[in-house]
Amino acid sequence: MKRQIRVTRLLLWFSLFAFVGPGFTYQARTPQVNEEARDFKVFTDRVQKYIKMQKDLKASLPALSPTKDEARIIEHQHALARIIADARRDARQGDIFTPEVAKRFRKIIDRTFLGPEGRLARKTIQPDSPSKILVLHVNDVCPEEILLITTPPTLLLRLPKLPQELVYRIVGHDLTLQDTEARLIVDLIPNVIR
Amino acid sequence: MPAMRRSVFVSCVALAAISLSLYAQELALPLKPDSVRFAVIGDMGTGEKPQYEVAGQMIGDRLKFPFEFVIMLGDNLYDDDGAGSGDYESRFELPYKPLLDAGVKFYAVLGNHDKTNQRFYKPFNMNGQQYYTYKKSNVRFFALDSNYMNPQQLSWLEKELQNSGSDWKICIVHHPLYSSAAFHGSSTELRGVLEPLFVKYGVQVVFAGHDHVYERVKPQKGIYYFTEGASGSLRKGDLRKTALTAVGNDQDRSFMLVEIAGDELYFQTISRTGLTVDSGVIQRVAKITGAAY
Repeated sequence: MKRQIRVTRLLLWFSLFAFVGPGFTYQARTPQVNEEARDFKVFTDRVQKYIKMQKDLKASLPALSPTKDEARIIEHQHALARIIADARRDARQGDIFTPEVAKRFRKIIDRTFLGPEGRLARKTIQPDSPSKILVLHVNDVCPEEILLITTPPTLLLRLPKLPQELVYRIVGHDLTLQDTEARLIVDLIPNVIR
Repeated sequence: MPAMRRSVFVSCVALAAISLSLYAQELALPLKPDSVRFAVIGDMGTGEKPQYEVAGQMIGDRLKFPFEFVIMLGDNLYDDDGAGSGDYESRFELPYKPLLDAGVKFYAVLGNHDKTNQRFYKPFNMNGQQYYTYKKSNVRFFALDSNYMNPQQLSWLEKELQNSGSDWKICIVHHPLYSSAAFHGSSTELRGVLEPLFVKYGVQVVFAGHDHVYERVKPQKGIYYFTEGASGSLRKGDLRKTALTAVGNDQDRSFMLVEIAGDELYFQTISRTGLTVDSGVIQRVAKITGAAY
């Protein structure tokens, strides 16, 4: 009789665990996913805000259509960079890559570069020649001597998508968010490539 | 170099190359009626003498093989001094002046030494886009930006490949998916995202630069890969002859001439001095889709 009770108790505990266990697991996972989605929503909202401002400012300049005039292309880039930097003169590092967003990005970047396929991603960002160590700031125009480092496609598949006006570029050890037309550093996460 | 001296220099180089090319080598291309004819150059924008010599050779060869357009595989304008100006004049307009004057069109992709705003430079025919497509007769070209292969570009490429009814599908990237060169070698990550699309939608040929050598790779999953990254820069002795290599050359600068006629693609790779480095013909194999029988 005692043995029967013990077995019944055991079965009850087992059933309880079987029903409740996944619930706990589910509950433990859901907030994490939601937090990530919430952080990325903050990021994409701020990106959209930047894009709106950039488009409004760009509309105040003469439109750049394809031209044979090299000077016009350069002047347009400089003029756009100037008015954006002026409009964002109070912008600080972390305005778009907020601390929470930066933390998420660091995790994704670590997973890409330190994971099983990390060797390939590291090879992708190998520069042609040793690059100068630069200290970058928000609103800097990305220095002209900086070569385009290929942003690993595996990383781009994991990071939040950007509108075509912006790109993720790795410069040295930093991940920068750059305006493609103005070559302006919109925000950055320093020392993210370890 | 003042513009006048440059022009005289260009003319001399062009004349010398024309005379050399007329006698130096036989054309290995059939010049069939209504064929699509073009030249391929990569990593050329140094503004130095060898770039002008290759350009002179191209100008000379055009007398025998009147190609209509030129594909540029990136590193169009090196700007290693960081001056900010790509110096479009000495690195593009002057070396290729006779071709530009003759109405030959150039279609560029961006290399890692290029400024992204080159896409607004009209003679590169990028129309402000970092990746784009164009069609010549039965050939569809897909010019890609391999510096930034984001999901949007991959989706765009898939859609364009899917919708293309052209017989020939040719992709152009700066970074080679397969390469035996020691300095860079194969871009394996890029291959991971592009090759499945190339295979799925029947791309037959891929042209790339980046490694400063010439290499024709043995067909990989039925696709022919060429690296022509030596039309201005050269990394002498950089090519390791691996199992991938069908033919390679790392001893001199070169460019390619290509003719597509019906189901055949003829190619000839010519060195700065006019020697034929490689030539051959690729037969198009129709991509069979639908029921598996």
